[in-house]
Amino acid sequence: MTTIILLSTLALLSLGLSAFLLLKEHQAKDVVQKREQDISRRMYELAILKELGDRVGYSLDVQQIVDIITSSLHQFIEYAAVSYMLLEPEKVMFKMHLERSVHRRFVVDVRDRMLSSLGALLDREFDKKNVREILSGAIIIEELEEPVRSFFNIPLVIDEKVVGVLTVADTKSGLYKEEEMTILYKIIQQASKAVTSLQGVVKTEQAKVSAMVESMEDGVVMTDADYRILVINPAAKRVIGQEKKAEITIFDFIDNLGGKMDIRGRLEESVKLKKSYMSERFEMKEKFYQSFVFPVKTTSSLNVEEVFGGVVIFHDVTREVELERVRDDFTSMIVHELRTPLSGIQKASELLKKPRKPAGSSPKQYVDMIYQNSSGMLDLVNDILDAAKLQSGKFEISREPADIAEVIANRVSFFNLSATDRKITLAVSVGENVPKAVPFDIQRIKQVLNNLISNALKFTPEGGAVSISAFVHEHGASANTDMRKMKVQLPEPLPEDQFASLPQSLVIAVTDTGMGIKSEQMSQLFSKFKQLDNQSLVPNIKGTGLGLAIAKGIIEGHGGIIGVASKVSAGSTFYFSLPLSPTQT
Amino acid sequence: MKKILIVDDDASFIETLKATLDPKKFITVSAADGEEGLKRMEESKPDLILLDIKMPKLGGMEFLKRVNEKYGEGKTAVLITSNLSGLEQISEGMELGIRGYFVKSNESLKGITDMIDRVLE
Repeated sequence: MTTIILLSTLALLSLGLSAFLLLKEHQAKDVVQKREQDISRRMYELAILKELGDRVGYSLDVQQIVDIITSSLHQFIEYAAVSYMLLEPEKVMFKMHLERSVHRRFVVDVRDRMLSSLGALLDREFDKKNVREILSGAIIIEELEEPVRSFFNIPLVIDEKVVGVLTVADTKSGLYKEEEMTILYKIIQQASKAVTSLQGVVKTEQAKVSAMVESMEDGVVMTDADYRILVINPAAKRVIGQEKKAEITIFDFIDNLGGKMDIRGRLEESVKLKKSYMSERFEMKEKFYQSFVFPVKTTSSLNVEEVFGGVVIFHDVTREVELERVRDDFTSMIVHELRTPLSGIQKASELLKKPRKPAGSSPKQYVDMIYQNSSGMLDLVNDILDAAKLQSGKFEISREPADIAEVIANRVSFFNLSATDRKITLAVSVGENVPKAVPFDIQRIKQVLNNLISNALKFTPEGGAVSISAFVHEHGASANTDMRKMKVQLPEPLPEDQFASLPQSLVIAVTDTGMGIKSEQMSQLFSKFKQLDNQSLVPNIKGTGLGLAIAKGIIEGHGGIIGVASKVSAGSTFYFSLPLSPTQT
Repeated sequence: MKKILIVDDDASFIETLKATLDPKKFITVSAADGEEGLKRMEESKPDLILLDIKMPKLGGMEFLKRVNEKYGEGKTAVLITSNLSGLEQISEGMELGIRGYFVKSNESLKGITDMIDRVLE
């Protein structure tokens, strides 16, 4: 009995054990199978991701990437049709690839479902008519009346923005379980991540480029092949006076440029014929521009050069035009100043040549005229030469100790006659402490004095006064106190700040009771080309205006300063300084 | 007898032209700038004005505007005489009704007197 019990127990045990083992083995098999499946799926995943990586490369073209994904998908997911929808600027693009033939209604059904999920994702209404459809793969067979039984949608997200949807669909039911979908998600995610990070890089680069374009002084406008503006900088908006307008179109340029530049035509030449263009100068809103138009070329993946659009650059040449005008004005002024004495010489000679001289005239009169005119011309030529030397830095000063009081006296005796003629008193006062020997260039300082005294006489009305004073200015002293000691009535106090940093110097001042100078003109007095601007302010002042510019060059060559203090209709004081112990240069 | 007013700051030009113009045919009056020119204009009522452009105090164009305002545009014949050859001045003068212009250094005294005769014919 016990044996039976024992045996039956054993049998039960062995049965249980074998059942257990069997179960175990079954379980193990399951695990292995599952692993195998996992591995093969992983392999697929890796394979497809690698393929994607290789094929996508550094593409930023979403459609190209989605095309690659959809063409690889059939390797591990079963479907009758794979399709995607992408947002385009004006339409929605729907592309479907059929692995198997389906009924037309199948296509329409998938399309409508995709459109509505895209609408839901973007919270927008899409018009069914606004869909551009592209079908590929197997043909539509109307007899196959199989509806959509399996359907799966994945949103296409780039940089956190929905750009479209990808869908797999089939006529069989129960497809697309979690596993397959996970893979699909992963693939889409991977691609999206790649594009997003690549776009990030591109965005940073674009930001750099656009910051550069934004800050450029030249106007830049870039358009696509349909002349839609893709890039425009503030300078380009300024060209057409549309700084405030946010959305600028090519028509804003066409309207504002008018006949000055055929922007549309030039862009067309650029885009269609790959031609570059450089315009003549033209004026816009009181500025001058020269424009350039270039085709914008891109090299596609197939190494084919394509013209993608055109770029227009507006180069501001206002400054160049102004400089040219100043130079032209200067030339015509010099021509005028040379023609006047030449014309005098010519006319006097013409009269001298006549066999019958006009009554009451003597040949000496005309010879004098020739002499005066030629001397005037010589002075002018010397001035032009001096100005040229100053400009090229070849102006030389040769100092030797001399008595300034003597030089001033010499100049006064020279101008006395013309001063008396015009009933102008010409007075001189030299400070007691002025040294007898100060190092300076006698001829050049005489030239400066000539200029200042003749100007003073020219602008002082009859009965006025011109006073020349020379005094020693100590470092840090007040120039106006110095002047008061000379007992000269100043029409306007001297600017103390000009004298503040001067070392111990000899100061010479020429004060007149003339018309005075407006403050806005004073700063321009001593610059060479600026005399022209003076002419526009005081149109009829004769002369080249080079005199003061040369005087400035001479005084600065001595290490001194030159300036003016003036009051309109009271008079002016022109002053200059010569350092008493100059540093040799 | 015709009266000619020469408004010019170029003394040589005035002197040589006066010496050339036949005193039996012309009375010449001169002024060294536009302001003086207006005074002489008032006194002498000339038949022709020879007018320089660049002059101190009052320039030729400003002088012309004032003359036009006072006496009516084109009432007095005006010839512009300048050593400028800028088109701007000439066209501005044309708008102000001048009869002609010449560049002094480009014309002989004979050429200038011929021109005067033609304008006063």
